[in-house]
Amino acid sequence: MQTTRPSIGKYVCGMAASLLIFLAGGWLILAPFALGYQPYNASWVSQTTNDFVTGIPVAVVALIAFTLFFMSLIRSLAAAGVVVAQAKVQPQASVQYQPATAAPQAPAANQSDLDRTLATLAAALAADLTARRQGGSDQQNDQSQTILNRREVQ
Amino acid sequence: MSVGDALRRLIPPGSYVLFLLFLAGIWLAISPFVMTTQPSGSHWIASTVNNVTVGAVMMVVSLLGIMGYMLFALGELIREAEAKRAVVKQSEQLAE
Repeated sequence: MQTTRPSIGKYVCGMAASLLIFLAGGWLILAPFALGYQPYNASWVSQTTNDFVTGIPVAVVALIAFTLFFMSLIRSLAAAGVVVAQAKVQPQASVQYQPATAAPQAPAANQSDLDRTLATLAAALAADLTARRQGGSDQQNDQSQTILNRREVQ
Repeated sequence: MSVGDALRRLIPPGSYVLFLLFLAGIWLAISPFVMTTQPSGSHWIASTVNNVTVGAVMMVVSLLGIMGYMLFALGELIREAEAKRAVVKQSEQLAE
């Protein structure tokens, strides 16, 4: 079954924000020396300490946020079938024949809600069609039985 | 889809981290006054201007990131719901 088209805009939005804040964290670390409010060859003034203590965690946390958004993007692309997870290399002896129909069942856990609904709907329609066909064949059997009975009576 | 699932799709883990950065931005903007490195009644010194500017940028950017993600995800949820409704309507018509 074909999966829904992934939208990457939301991930790009989060990643861009994280990247900008990462740069802001880097600037915070550099600022005391770039703007000159930290004298050379002197112990750090409180502004410098504050900027360092804030800037380093900001840069690290922004990097974590970027990684989280990036991982979400990769998961979304994998669920849509754009990116395929690398299969582990197995020894030649253990390779067995796999029917081609078994392959598309792998990303079942990643299927979107819409895909699951469509699958359920398709299954229900198939069951309905089968039931109708069986009903039709039963009716045909009944009709042929009636004709036979009439002939026997005659 | 339950409300919890919808919220999980609207607010990913990355957005919580961005909210932490929003709080860091608030701290950065007010820190010169809290730590009294900015003398009261005088023009802002270089470090105060820098901290307030970077703090404001961090607040705005993190909020934009959270809201942008939320808006995109909301649009996606609405599109999915509309598609699902169309499929259900079509199947009802087929059944009739």
